[in-house]
Amino acid sequence: MQIYLPIAELPVSILTILAMGAAVGFLSGMFGIGGGFLMTPLLIFLGIPPAVAVGTQATQIVASSVTGALAHLARNSIDFKMGGVLLGGGILGSLSGIYLFKMLSNIGQIDLAISVVYVLFLSVIGAMMMIESVQAIRAARGGATPRRRSGHHSWIHGLPLKMRFRRSKLYISVIPPVLIGYFVGTLSAIMGVGGGFILIPAMIYILRMPTNVVIGTSFFQIVFVAALTGVMHAVENQAVDIVLAFLLVIGGVVGAQYGVRVAERMPAEQLRALLAALLLLIGLRLGYELVSPPEDPYSITEVQVVK
Amino acid sequence: MRWLVALSQFLSALLLLTSTATAPARADQLIADLSQSQIAIRSNFTGTQILLFGAVEARTPGARAINRDVIVVVQGPERPMTVRKKEPVGGIWVNHDAVTYPSVPGYYAIASTRPLEVIAPPETLKALHIGVENINPGIPVARSLDGNTQILSPDQEAAFWKALIRNQQRNGLYFNRPGGVTFLGRTLFRATVDIPANVPVGLYMAKVYLLQEGEVIDTISSPLYINKRGLERSIYNMAHSDPFHYGLLAVLVAAFAGWLASAIMGRR
Repeated sequence: MQIYLPIAELPVSILTILAMGAAVGFLSGMFGIGGGFLMTPLLIFLGIPPAVAVGTQATQIVASSVTGALAHLARNSIDFKMGGVLLGGGILGSLSGIYLFKMLSNIGQIDLAISVVYVLFLSVIGAMMMIESVQAIRAARGGATPRRRSGHHSWIHGLPLKMRFRRSKLYISVIPPVLIGYFVGTLSAIMGVGGGFILIPAMIYILRMPTNVVIGTSFFQIVFVAALTGVMHAVENQAVDIVLAFLLVIGGVVGAQYGVRVAERMPAEQLRALLAALLLLIGLRLGYELVSPPEDPYSITEVQVVK
Repeated sequence: MRWLVALSQFLSALLLLTSTATAPARADQLIADLSQSQIAIRSNFTGTQILLFGAVEARTPGARAINRDVIVVVQGPERPMTVRKKEPVGGIWVNHDAVTYPSVPGYYAIASTRPLEVIAPPETLKALHIGVENINPGIPVARSLDGNTQILSPDQEAAFWKALIRNQQRNGLYFNRPGGVTFLGRTLFRATVDIPANVPVGLYMAKVYLLQEGEVIDTISSPLYINKRGLERSIYNMAHSDPFHYGLLAVLVAAFAGWLASAIMGRR
């Protein structure tokens, strides 16, 4: 069964979109990620214009991160103060990301920018996670307990504007979280992702937040950044397809529940290694497209008439 | 007596004028219409077909209809379009040069009784703007990677224009169907033209040319309006006229769905 998307201006198969939503939802439930980095390339691959894919994906992320944030709210594992500081940076980042997106679209380089950023982040983070999880699996087999990171003072502690984050048991400067929020917000507006896969490692390794509040805080921040990104994409590029978003959300909600159940039965290290392999695979696939000669070097786009 | 001479000259001139003026009226005439003058794009739209039917009214019943051809051109709304060429820069394929054409038809379909090159000489087709190679897209503007305008050689520019046609053909928006117009008997003819799902919306024009011996005898055109209807139209209009509230609505619906999901999960 086909449905015509009013904004993307093409018909798609309802079942394909629902299945894609469910598959990505399954992975997002399994790994505790938003899944935007999987969905946006898939949508572009289906022929959805990149702007519509990114804009629509933002609203879908709102749905999945609201679910995630509510679950963590019930477990009291959100650091609202830290989330708020990250959000402050995230809002500024999202706004500049939207501006950058529009500028790159006008000069015809948005597709390239999306691909390059994807390849860069997927392969770097995928490789880092892979190394770390392989080490963890080895350590577990060897019977050695993983070393606890020492709370030694890094350069971050030398920065001014310190603030106390009780829930995270931290007393650090607000400059690093604001910068991280800004950076992830910018990427989220360009890539159509929530940015959890960057935010979570950054919170653990740079801010040294306790692992139990990291995911909840990340979801909390992503809800608002993604909501802002969605509204801004609608205002600036008229690129949010509400019909497509609705289908993706339905598929995603169903898929996520099954993903969560599977994850409960799998050890965390193997789960992380699997996610790392997935990230690397998509990164390589997109990277290959960048360097291989295109079938037709010429492409056409309709020029947006400025009102 | 000079006025009489002048009058007779005037009268003969008038006669000559009326005889030439009535000459085309005595030639064959076209009657044609579309099966529908509007196409509504609703949520179940997956492309459609329009049927054009018509008749040739022969004013000179004695003359045989030899080499009589019909060409149907259906053209979509014209919009500015940019063609970009990818080139390897440091191993990565990057959009490099770009050429923007100010008015490119978003859809261009031709159906004819026989292949165009058999029907009429290229000059005639060119003068009538029939055929993809005879579309007039306006004066192109070429830009290089840094966004500055540049001048391309005619060869290079032609490659961009060919690429535009190639891309539009691949998307099923430009096509040529020789034999797409069929005569049913001596006077009636019909043509079906595919409208794919990815057509741009707007005002279309179906033009029918009647040719004999490579000369155009008569033309007729009828408009076709393709537009979104129903929910598709409301959504599209809201997204463009009130993008802020549209975006807010999309985000709130998504947030509600997220809450609903967690409420259902929590109950289990």
